Amino acid sequence: MAEKTVGKPIKRTEDPRLIQGLAHYVDDIRLPDTLHAAFLRSIYAHARIKSIDTTAAQKLPGVVAVYTGKDTQKIGPVPCAAALPDLKVPDHRPLAGNKVYFVGHPVAVVVAETKSAARDAVDLIEVDYEELPVALDEEKAADAKSPVIHEQFGTNVAYKLTAGEGDIEAALKSADKVVKQRILHKRLAPIAMEPRGVLARYFPGEQELTLWTSTQIPHLCRTQVAIMIGMPENKLRLITPEVGGGFGSKLNVYAEEALMGWISMQLNRPVKWIEGRRENMQATIHGRGQTGYIEIGFKNDGTLTGLRYNVFADMGSYFQLLTPAIPTLTGLMLSGCYKIPAIQINVTGVFTNKMSTDAYRGAGRPEATYVVERALDLVALELKRDPVEVRRKNFPQPNEFPFKTATGLFYDSGNYQGALDKALKMADYTKLREEQKTARKEGRIMGIGVSTYVEICALGPSSAMPAGGWESATVRVEPTGKVTVLTGASPHGQGEETSFAQIAADELGVGVNDVTVIHGDTAIVQYGIGTFGSRGLAVGGVAVYMAIQKLKDKAHKIAAHVLQCEKATFVDGKFCADGKGKGEVSAPSMPVAEAPAGALPKPNESGKTLTMMDIALEAHVAKNLPADMEPGLSATAFYEPKNFTFPFGTHIAVVDIDPETGEIHFQRYVAVDDCGKQINPMLVAGQVHGGIVQSIGQAMFEEVVYDETGQLVTGTLMDYAVPKAVMIPHLELDSTETPSPVNPLGAKGVGEAGTIGATPAIVAAIVDALAPYGVRHIDMPIKPEVVWQLIKNGPKKTSAGAA
Amino acid sequence: MKIEGTQKIAAPRDRIFAALIDPAILQKCIPGCEQMEKTGDNQYKAKLTAGVGPVKGAFTATVSLQEIIAPEHYKLVVEGKGQPGFVKGSGELNLKDAGSETEIQYTGDVNVGGLIASVGQRMIQATANMLAARFFKSLEAETATNSPASSTGT
Amino acid sequence: MIPASFDYIAAKSLDEAISLLAKHKDDAKVLAGGHSLLPAMKLRLMQPKVLIDLGRIRDLSYIKEDGGLIRIGAMTTHFQVEISDLLRRSCPLLPETASHLGDMQVRNKGTIGGSLAHSDPAADWPASILALDAELVATSAKGDRVIKATDFFVEMLTTSLQPGEILREIRIPSGKSKPAQAYVKVRHPASGFAVVGVAVNLSIDGGKCQSAAIGITGVSPKAYRASKVESALKGNALDAKTLSAACAHAAAAVDVNSDLYASAEYRKQLATVYTRRAIEIAAGRAK
Repeated sequence: MAEKTVGKPIKRTEDPRLIQGLAHYVDDIRLPDTLHAAFLRSIYAHARIKSIDTTAAQKLPGVVAVYTGKDTQKIGPVPCAAALPDLKVPDHRPLAGNKVYFVGHPVAVVVAETKSAARDAVDLIEVDYEELPVALDEEKAADAKSPVIHEQFGTNVAYKLTAGEGDIEAALKSADKVVKQRILHKRLAPIAMEPRGVLARYFPGEQELTLWTSTQIPHLCRTQVAIMIGMPENKLRLITPEVGGGFGSKLNVYAEEALMGWISMQLNRPVKWIEGRRENMQATIHGRGQTGYIEIGFKNDGTLTGLRYNVFADMGSYFQLLTPAIPTLTGLMLSGCYKIPAIQINVTGVFTNKMSTDAYRGAGRPEATYVVERALDLVALELKRDPVEVRRKNFPQPNEFPFKTATGLFYDSGNYQGALDKALKMADYTKLREEQKTARKEGRIMGIGVSTYVEICALGPSSAMPAGGWESATVRVEPTGKVTVLTGASPHGQGEETSFAQIAADELGVGVNDVTVIHGDTAIVQYGIGTFGSRGLAVGGVAVYMAIQKLKDKAHKIAAHVLQCEKATFVDGKFCADGKGKGEVSAPSMPVAEAPAGALPKPNESGKTLTMMDIALEAHVAKNLPADMEPGLSATAFYEPKNFTFPFGTHIAVVDIDPETGEIHFQRYVAVDDCGKQINPMLVAGQVHGGIVQSIGQAMFEEVVYDETGQLVTGTLMDYAVPKAVMIPHLELDSTETPSPVNPLGAKGVGEAGTIGATPAIVAAIVDALAPYGVRHIDMPIKPEVVWQLIKNGPKKTSAGAA
Repeated sequence: MKIEGTQKIAAPRDRIFAALIDPAILQKCIPGCEQMEKTGDNQYKAKLTAGVGPVKGAFTATVSLQEIIAPEHYKLVVEGKGQPGFVKGSGELNLKDAGSETEIQYTGDVNVGGLIASVGQRMIQATANMLAARFFKSLEAETATNSPASSTGT
Repeated sequence: MIPASFDYIAAKSLDEAISLLAKHKDDAKVLAGGHSLLPAMKLRLMQPKVLIDLGRIRDLSYIKEDGGLIRIGAMTTHFQVEISDLLRRSCPLLPETASHLGDMQVRNKGTIGGSLAHSDPAADWPASILALDAELVATSAKGDRVIKATDFFVEMLTTSLQPGEILREIRIPSGKSKPAQAYVKVRHPASGFAVVGVAVNLSIDGGKCQSAAIGITGVSPKAYRASKVESALKGNALDAKTLSAACAHAAAAVDVNSDLYASAEYRKQLATVYTRRAIEIAAGRAK
């Protein structure tokens, strides 16, 4: 019996191949006779295409074909799965029609024998553009006077949506005070280390198309691409090899995926496109992009009465898969971890001459948490109370779960006080506040920021999801006892090859290394949904667990049959006859027929116990199975979650600011996260680390910048600042474990916790540091220059402070 | 992107203004301008090789002179397109006498697009300033009282 | 990110490189590490027809001291400078500068000569080379030409190297026993280039600053000597008042860069503050 592994920080089984450079990403897949594609992309943010001349490009040696929007009209639109009332959906074709809408908009694609020829030919395509006025700022673009992007709509407003419960007007009126704040959530680039890439191969005889693509959702992508290019879904095999990160950017169906498939079918040759980093910045979705107005009402004792958030959400010029749905997630989570009797969100989704926004790690929820946490800090500042105190005042008690919010959710379980207390103790909060007082006396600038967050994970019940929220798993015990897990979730860096193996190993009494987790090949794996929304474990892992239970049912029956007892039990990796403890029963040996020549040797069924391997062999040899039982030992489960899960936690950031330069230095970073039951704490820590790092990026460095003409000026990693290891403080992490009642694993999900909990804590710390200068809010990213200006210009109030 | 500044040139205002609307001299002053061909009244088609150091690109451009009020004001508009992207610049020049010299105040607006906009962010402002400086340096060489009008430039 | 096609020639000797350069002229670029050149080529900002690689010329990579001069071969990598015992002892400013430069990969492959010849306005080396009153030796078919550091940097991405010339060696006057030097830098969070980089090389005797050489990079289209700061320090005790008055001139008389990360106003402030800090560190090291 292998040692139990669930709950232990075992090393990722994925890592050796990744670290040694032996893993296969799309670009590592080499097929003979492959053609290479390169895109001509718009250099204008908004322009009419008067003409395109591809003659010179087509004549270049090595060029096989050049396609423009005119040539590719048979390919259907890039899909948007979000359904909202009165949503205006632009016709989003893979290549531009008579207009381009953003810098990076694909205009033509060249296919050539070599990458170089394809790239050279791109420069030979001549496009005559007529520049049009641009609409860039989501708030201004919503104005009736703004240039209109999609003329057929007559407006840039894609939709308006109001959500929330309770009488918000009355709630704000009943408040002793109302504070308001305009806040910006700037656009961010997800920057997966591996950009996108597609390889397509069509076999005309078999009429089969195989698509290798770097995606988070292989099955959904297969379905959608099949629809776009008009082929039977089951003739399209989509393979997701190693994926070098997605962060939501690959939770999508892109024009290039359908185009490569279609081109391969036109030319009957494999064709490959690997996205460059500049393309990645221009034409892979961006995250966030909101301009919002907060109003929060509260009593003088700190009790919250109501929260309203009016927000202009930047859609970009087209919808990608979930673009308009992202702000609705913001609306859902506006209660944070607080009792707020009335909540209202008013979303105005606005088209702009920019790349589409869509899901980026957190997808709408970091915005919500940021809104609520900034609001709570403003309440504390207004009441001159400690921000911790104001938070605690409005927490639901642990016995109030499931807790219903005014956004229509039922939080599954929680102990917000527990995580907060633990974090405060780790940080020694009281002492930090004392230190801050001393620092201020000495002219040093120090700030402490606290964020208490809750997030919505395990997306989700299908009723609340655009395209199914369940997940699938097939678990097989092979004749040799090796376990194969096929998961419909498509992990891409999260480590589920390890955590799912841990679940299977413990349940089936085998070692982790006896389990192989297979994912991301639609010809092998049953239909599934994918990895996003912190659902890998809490939905996909639960599906694995459910399939194992089915498989174990059958295994028990086989065991009982072989052991010649009514019922068998499975204890410590061994089956024995029921009732008399482990391995102590002497099962009567069953009469064995003469084995036919060449038959496999039979397991020793006369022994006291049977392992899963014994049962597997029996099930496959199929000579000694109960009557009417099918051979084989395999089970499939489709798990439909009944609710979301709601992980939570507390993040505390402590910063020192250089008074002469505004540079921000972390003194401490403490986080306590509660993601329910942990299967592998090392994976949990890894997810939290990565999330906090991306949060630091958002809070202090990252911003996709388009200039006033719509040029993307943060076009490379020389200008777009992704945080580097040296910019990250030591992260002091711990956790509490409040199991979720939603699923049998008790797991909640942790993939996005860091990006949700950390950003408000960092901003709060910086704002808190600058409180003596009259600062109450700063928009992200908070760059040193901004801080320096505030210090230089702000009134120094010695008595002010957050506490 | 804005560029602005003041430049003093030791030459009479009339002479400078005449140079500023003379395509032959303009060609020498616009950095990297290799050819200028008249296409209409105060309208020219030009070939430019513009950039800094070894980072250069070939552009085809239109140059137009507008709002000509001799000898005190005019507007120079250059729109270039090439493989590295596009550049659109317009500059208003105001000339006034400053003793024996002439003071030129200029305010310009430069927009770049395409590759140079997306990869050149950290150098673009400095490049614009530098090209403006080169323009005036050449203009000075062409017009300064003590230098021959047929300066070879650089 | 695919360059235009080009020919690649790995020169076996400096003489061969010189004659190749003479032959291909403007069509050729010299490859000396490639951490600036190759990205520019991949973006097609530069499209040389011929690359002449100096990477195989072993005798261009050395650090030695003779005749009162420290000589550094142009193909010496940043990392070799960073770990050189000779330099740590006699000219610690250079290893310190190297340690701030790029990242590990860049330092392992990039060369001091390559960086200087490229003359990025935010590169680290120019500041230190200026502060050390270095001489740069260019060589061509006509032989060697020695260029003073102050004459070397002409403008952004432009040096006084003439067509056909290759930077061969960097020469630095041998220092005193306990050099008062420091390099400090504000790194751009994305590129790692210097938003402001200040190299200080002081001579302090009897509590007074006998000489000061300060090179500043990142602030202006080319690195420069902060001569007004230098003259304000010379002959004075380095007290707070002197420093603060002197460093106010850190960005005097230069065009100050501005970009998305730092406006000209802020850069000027950074230059002022970090010049003072660099002097303080350098002065502290002389004690």
